[in-house]
Amino acid sequence: MCACLLLASAAWAQEPREALNVNASFAPDRLGASTNLSLAASFASDTGRAPSPVTKFTLFTPAGIGVDTRGVGTCAPAALERRGPGACPLDSRAGFGGGVGVDELPNETIRVPYTLDFFFAAKRSGGLRVLIHVEAAAPANVQLALVAREIPAPKPYGFGFTVEVPPLSTSPGLPNASVESVFVTVGSPDVAYYESVHGHERLVRVRGVSVPKSCPGGGFPVQGTASFADGTTLTADPTIPCPGG
Amino acid sequence: MPGRLTVPGTRILVAAVLASTLVACAQFAAPGSAKAATITPALMPDSLGGRGALTLTANFAEGSTTVPAPVRTAVLMLPAGLGLDVPSLRSCSAARLRARGPSACPAQSELGRGHAQVEAYVGSQVLDENIALWVFLGPLHGFQPTVEVLGQGYTPLVKRIVLAGTVTRAHAPYGEELVMDIPPIATVVLEPDASLASLTLTVGTSTRRPAADANTVVMPASCPAGGFPFAAEFTYADGSTGSALATAPCPQ
Repeated sequence: MCACLLLASAAWAQEPREALNVNASFAPDRLGASTNLSLAASFASDTGRAPSPVTKFTLFTPAGIGVDTRGVGTCAPAALERRGPGACPLDSRAGFGGGVGVDELPNETIRVPYTLDFFFAAKRSGGLRVLIHVEAAAPANVQLALVAREIPAPKPYGFGFTVEVPPLSTSPGLPNASVESVFVTVGSPDVAYYESVHGHERLVRVRGVSVPKSCPGGGFPVQGTASFADGTTLTADPTIPCPGG
Repeated sequence: MPGRLTVPGTRILVAAVLASTLVACAQFAAPGSAKAATITPALMPDSLGGRGALTLTANFAEGSTTVPAPVRTAVLMLPAGLGLDVPSLRSCSAARLRARGPSACPAQSELGRGHAQVEAYVGSQVLDENIALWVFLGPLHGFQPTVEVLGQGYTPLVKRIVLAGTVTRAHAPYGEELVMDIPPIATVVLEPDASLASLTLTVGTSTRRPAADANTVVMPASCPAGGFPFAAEFTYADGSTGSALATAPCPQ
């Protein structure tokens, strides 16, 4: 696992600067194996205050990574928005995650744990879509349904996904909520389900995400780019070490 | 390894079997608030000195709406005089169980079976999974018998764990106690470990007339006033502790 820490080249010299730190890993990390791809990102500001709210996040995964969606279900965005994760079929689940959000009040900063649930949605224009359900229970119940779209990935990357994050107001006159950290795990190396074949139940293991079959020198490249409400854009380029490396 | 393992030398085995199983499941745990575990023992046959089975049900989430906390250490205390009769002394190693599952073990080494329900927080959801349990006689450790407990779940996550138990003598009114350290059991990367919500395990043979070569639980020769005492103590991942007491009634 490799971490990258970047400071923003702010749009204006005197503007506060955000920092983005991204870690990525495969578990297990055998070449070609069904795996979990895990990402952890943290956001910070050099002002000592909460970072500016994230408005968009784009991820590029290593070239050669396998994403096998055969047999998986899909979840309708409207259903997720209306009824939450329970509305999505179990076989549409793509991953899990969470993190810590920040509400900046006049006299205190409140850190709010939140959870993430990922579901496959029907493809659009041939591209994968992943629904993201965001939920925080305290201090107020917050639920959001976001859509991550597959986008073309430049070399040396394989898949690209981008998600736009709407402003999340806290109280009138106060800054919108921002994100301090996020972690995500997608894939299904241990996931299995029973299917009925000619009256007999058969255990089917989901292949999901698989590690590329070969590893480039220097490891698997990953790129994460975050855009912030203050106009800053940050890119982190961590690498996942080659198996056994 | 032919031989007949009998009471009192193997009384500890019953404790080992049950405590191993308790922790095998108890470690499928996640953050939570419920620390009030309950245990419910049932002995069969209903006769002193008889050969049969002990069924133990444990509930780690009774009355709770949250996933119970992960157990890190479990101690199970069993009534004095409770034993295990193993006519054909065969064992199975943890490595074999881990690699090849229960079918890789000699049938004579199987001491019991059961099932468990485990829970874990993943994302905003609580993941539920049914776990099948097998208990096997493990290799001798020094002069002490050991047990290996295999927990196998299939869906939604294929998971296999094997635990081993060690035994010491318990204080009265108990006979033996088993102390087990429980490692965290992962579910999904970056998500909390899973927790045991409940389990039921039968050790021995619950048929009315066990075969001569069947592994059986041997009931104590006498019953204390108030019944056979059972106790369990748990230390959870957050450092808190919990305990459970139960009594099995004396034979009529």
